[in-house]
Amino acid sequence: MKLNITLNGAKKSLEIAPNAYLLDVLRDLAGMKSVKRGCGEGTCGACAVLIDGRLRNSCITFAAHCEGATVLTVEGIGSHEHPHILQKAFVNHGATQCGYCNPGSLLAAKALLDRNPDPTMDQVKEALDGNLCRCTGYVKRIDAVLDAAKEMKSSREEKR
Amino acid sequence: MEKPAAIPEYPRTYPKPDKFDVVNHSREKLDGMGLVTGTRKFVADFDLPNMIHVKMLGSPHAHARIISIDTEEAMKMPGVVGIYTSKDVPRVAHTTAGQGYPEPSPYDTFMLDTKVRFIGDRVAIVAAETPEAAIAACRKIKVQYEVLPAVFSIEQAMAEGAPVIHDESDCSVPIPIHFDPKRNHCAHMETKVGDVEKGYKEADVVLEKTYHSHYAQHCPIEPHTCACYLDEDDRVVLISSTQVPFHARRITAQVLQIPIKRIRVIKPRIGGGFGTKQEVLLEDVCAFVTMKTRRPCRWELTRAEEFMSARTRHPMSVTIKMGVKKNGKITAMSMKVLSNTGAYGSHALTVMSNCGSKVLPLYKCENVEFIGDTYYTNLPVAGAYRGYGATQAAFGAEAHMDELASAIKMDALKFRAMNHIKVGETSPIFQALGEGRAGVSMVIQSCGLAECIEIGRKEIGWNEKRGKPGTGIKRRGIGMCMLMQGSSIPEIDMGSVFIKMNEDGSFNMLLGATDLGTGSDTILAQIAAETLGCDHSDMLVYSSDTDFTPFDTGAYASSTTYLSGGAVINAATKVREQILAVASMMLGEKPEQLTIENKTILGKNKKNKITFSQICKYAMYEVNQFQIGAIGSHVTHASPPPFSAHFAEVEVDIETGELKVIKYVAAVDCGTAINPQLADGQTQGGLLNGIGYATTEEYHFDKSGRMLNPSFKHYKIFGANDIPEIKTFLVPTYEPTGPYGAKSVSEICINGALPAIGNAIKDAVGVRICEGPFTAERILKAIREAGKIGKD
Amino acid sequence: MLAHVARFYHPTTVEEACSLLAAKDHKNVALAGGTHLAVVEDSGIEGLVDLKGLKLTHQRRENGRITIGAMNPVEDLKTSTLLSGPGGNLLRLSAAAIGSTPLRHAITVGGNLVAAFPWSDLPPALLALDTEVVLRRGKEERVLPIGKLYETRPTDVIKADELVTEIRVSEFATSTGTAFQKVARTKNDYALITVAVRLTLKDGLISEARVALNGLTRRPCRITSVETFLTGKKCDKDIFREAAKKAGDGIELTSDFRASREYREEVLPVYIRRCLEEAAANVSK
Ligand SMILES: Cc1cc2nc3c(=O)[nH]c(=O)nc-3n(C[C@H](O)[C@H](O)[C@H](O)COP(=O)(O)OP(=O)(O)OC[C@H]3O[C@@H](n4cnc5c(N)ncnc54)[C@H](O)[C@@H]3O)c2cc1C
Ligand code: FES
Ligand code: FES
Repeated sequence: MKLNITLNGAKKSLEIAPNAYLLDVLRDLAGMKSVKRGCGEGTCGACAVLIDGRLRNSCITFAAHCEGATVLTVEGIGSHEHPHILQKAFVNHGATQCGYCNPGSLLAAKALLDRNPDPTMDQVKEALDGNLCRCTGYVKRIDAVLDAAKEMKSSREEKR
Repeated sequence: MEKPAAIPEYPRTYPKPDKFDVVNHSREKLDGMGLVTGTRKFVADFDLPNMIHVKMLGSPHAHARIISIDTEEAMKMPGVVGIYTSKDVPRVAHTTAGQGYPEPSPYDTFMLDTKVRFIGDRVAIVAAETPEAAIAACRKIKVQYEVLPAVFSIEQAMAEGAPVIHDESDCSVPIPIHFDPKRNHCAHMETKVGDVEKGYKEADVVLEKTYHSHYAQHCPIEPHTCACYLDEDDRVVLISSTQVPFHARRITAQVLQIPIKRIRVIKPRIGGGFGTKQEVLLEDVCAFVTMKTRRPCRWELTRAEEFMSARTRHPMSVTIKMGVKKNGKITAMSMKVLSNTGAYGSHALTVMSNCGSKVLPLYKCENVEFIGDTYYTNLPVAGAYRGYGATQAAFGAEAHMDELASAIKMDALKFRAMNHIKVGETSPIFQALGEGRAGVSMVIQSCGLAECIEIGRKEIGWNEKRGKPGTGIKRRGIGMCMLMQGSSIPEIDMGSVFIKMNEDGSFNMLLGATDLGTGSDTILAQIAAETLGCDHSDMLVYSSDTDFTPFDTGAYASSTTYLSGGAVINAATKVREQILAVASMMLGEKPEQLTIENKTILGKNKKNKITFSQICKYAMYEVNQFQIGAIGSHVTHASPPPFSAHFAEVEVDIETGELKVIKYVAAVDCGTAINPQLADGQTQGGLLNGIGYATTEEYHFDKSGRMLNPSFKHYKIFGANDIPEIKTFLVPTYEPTGPYGAKSVSEICINGALPAIGNAIKDAVGVRICEGPFTAERILKAIREAGKIGKD
Repeated sequence: MLAHVARFYHPTTVEEACSLLAAKDHKNVALAGGTHLAVVEDSGIEGLVDLKGLKLTHQRRENGRITIGAMNPVEDLKTSTLLSGPGGNLLRLSAAAIGSTPLRHAITVGGNLVAAFPWSDLPPALLALDTEVVLRRGKEERVLPIGKLYETRPTDVIKADELVTEIRVSEFATSTGTAFQKVARTKNDYALITVAVRLTLKDGLISEARVALNGLTRRPCRITSVETFLTGKKCDKDIFREAAKKAGDGIELTSDFRASREYREEVLPVYIRRCLEEAAANVSK
């Protein structure tokens, strides 16, 4: 069957199996290798993407369920040339070690800041609660998100 | 005979520069942007055309002989390409432990065997067009087993007449170490210094207790993954999530009985390892499948397989006996270790001996005894795990230090402060306990413990809070511990690196050392840049590829900064000499008169200037041409311990036993932190892993030896929302034997949580829990048994 | 893995969805958040009927009643500004206790109450609130008290071509206090004990007590022994203590690797007492 989605801003029409998972479709058919598999059962968040702005684990999401939806992966939020403030903050704060969990965590952070531009530390911790990281101990990651929020706020104020 | 000139002599110490330009600064992680934008590739991100997928049929029995395997029906399943059993593969006894050759682990493993020794053990290999098809085919394989009685504990393994797990005639040890498989006795080690009996007689108090540490898994978020293809020359190329690419190449060649030169191992980005990827678990099978089918293949462990059939931490019982005088002097200590290696003896000897070598030297004592024994059981296979025995032993030793302190009514901090090893001192244990052979004696040249203790004391509020649990339902407690580890395996491990210069003044640095997420590419680039006089971003780092990068034993034994960092200095120093030589020709000044500042060579009066770029072009295209570049190796002659003090504040609910870690403080002396931010990150990540191990992480087994909780649903590691307040401090010291004064940092930090939290629980509710993890149920039971606090 | 799913439907009305579920020639199943369906092994399922297009994501508040569409992700209950009163609070707290952020964005109210597991966090809260469950079979509608679903298994009560479309609860705006407690090893662990409590007072005495559990029982349930004991009594520490002691009466506690039966037996009264005290402390005026 056909799956029509808007992936990272571009309209895509992909031929998928009705029981295919979004994770496999994104990685194997759409080439979005940033979406990682850590468990395949909804427990680690390495595969998390934004579906219509909501953070969801793509390994337990049927691809066909996303018909008509907007899907965002880390490829869609920034690049080497134009990194997202969050991506820069992760690097600057040392919030990336092996990096395997980063794409999912970054999207979790983005989803939070999209809804709540001025989060408290507890809100950041909660927003990242589904993205397991075995390397960093989370401390620098939480700082990075808080810092990015501040920076986004000041760049918004500058624009005004 | 005199050493021929071609044999390198390695520096024993490195000069201390007046100031650091690159090192000791928190420079940006070189692969950081590639990781956060998702462009850096992990094994599973390589699309190989026409690739097939591998699955392993795992054993449903903990101990059984395979009578027959019928693959007929499975072969007919759609998408199946091949199914292989022990009849189809070479039978070569080997160890999966990725250690230096000859390995101090027994050769007790076969690619496929006619016997299975734990639930999840290899039975048959299935290759199919999709992972789903391979799984479906696994289910159709009919295996007839003769189920054998199994062994699920060390006690059962040791018992007279116990079932023999390794009864095959062709298992052996490659080096002369104790190995008695007929008694399930996998390894033994003992050493004695001084007169222990005399020491106990002199003591005012002698205490003995046994501490049990439990099974745990490393839980890298990327499971073990390996891909394989045949290149244009029919060579076998493995892309693998390995910490040990060179050992993986050697062991794969050994198992498949093919020449090493036919294999190339590429290590791309790795999603964490923590020791479990210091193990050759997938490479032999992937290489075999690709050679058989002549198609690329990939094998990715599922999370359940990661728990059940990858590697785990050795569960242990550590019995500690210590004698102490009322004035706090330790007169004797004994450590007896019983270690369970599971079904295979990977790292069986060395993890056990590390219990002694990385824990006993911490406190001064003339009479010391260590006895360690490792046994086989029909449970999951243990292996290397961050901490490597020190985790298990430090739990016992540091709990015991608190017990002793309270027995002689001395403050636990004071007791430790007066006894710990200091600069200029040594321990007989360094020499006595090595890795499969004698160790290397060494005098401590850097130790920041005193400062670590002071920082922690203040930060946790030791003086104000210790011994004041309160009287409510929620009791507070403070606990601490002290730790040491090592840095590399001296005179055994070797690292090397190749650096070559490019026309723009940048350098390619080809590292055998394996960055598995720690940031070692970055810190090694910083060390090179410091030596060369450029920025770390001028170093184009490539790690690792057995075809292109020189040899390194790999990322283990806390060696990368200390050992491979030494190799980097050795190589960069040679390159620097070449640069200065060319510059001297160009400037007409003596090399000794030149200085380097930010990729520019300055003449004697700082008037003459010439850039790296000009130098490289000159050497490449103009006069006396040559490639500026050099290879450097290193072997260390010491393994200087990093030191650390950990402090925990906990709250215990005396009605439910629930434990909450409120605050956790770690101060660590890793010598010079090459990259303070990354060193701090190692500390934070490691200590949180330790807190998980101390509080929630454990394996549960049913009666048949099957793990009941092989999933993150049930095996709970900490998420962002579970963390206590974490405070980490780097205490700078200078280790003269290390590159720019550095020691290791990443292993030590995992060892503190069990003892520090255990000691804090004791402070809060007065009970000593000698077995982790500290679950609510265990704590409540201990409170009830001690009858300390009344029932509701 | 649903190996044999060959069809995927996107109906836009309840009627359409029900008629797809009624198909005789192949087995279709309703798909909500998919967090359960995506991880089960069921080779019998041939088609998935996605409820996403049914727009059952409403949340309404009218005359002290809260109506919640079955397809609300539980995250939307957690963050709802509309849910208020002791009833609304209890819903919010129980939704917040579920899994992790990405899971809460997927897990739906309907899915959580239909696929009720020992670790399901909404059901005890729904039981404590005397929730009404609205079921539709095409145009046909019936309303069941939530307790009915858990007498056996929800799937024994809900027909194959029937859907939960919404739930209705009272805000309990006055004279009521509620409390919720999930006991687990980490924040996104499954519960080893879940307790939901509601105390509604009349003239200073408890007129309605609800104590509902999950996590340590085979399915979500109320402990009527405790409820009956409390009815007509004052909110008082000693009474709560007494009441909590009856916690184990008439229910069979489970044992697993999260905790032994003995441990659960020992601490259940503690958590119940604490929930009762908390509920009593936050009774709305
Ligand atoms: C890793 C993980 C952790 C979790 N942790 C928790 C937790 O801590 N607490 C907790 O409460 N839950 C938790 N859950 C969720 C729980 O296990 C179920 O998966 C979830 O409640 C199902 O909801 P869903 O919307 O995803 O339903 P689906 O998976 O879509 O459906 C589940 C079942 O319900 C049926 N169904 C769904 N909606 C309707 C409807 N409106 N009418 C009729 N039938 C319907 C479906 O046909 C299906 O049979 C967790 C899940 C995962 C994967
Ligand atoms: S891979 Fe999807 S949650 Fe782990
Ligand atoms: S950085 Fe390695 S898992 Fe998070």
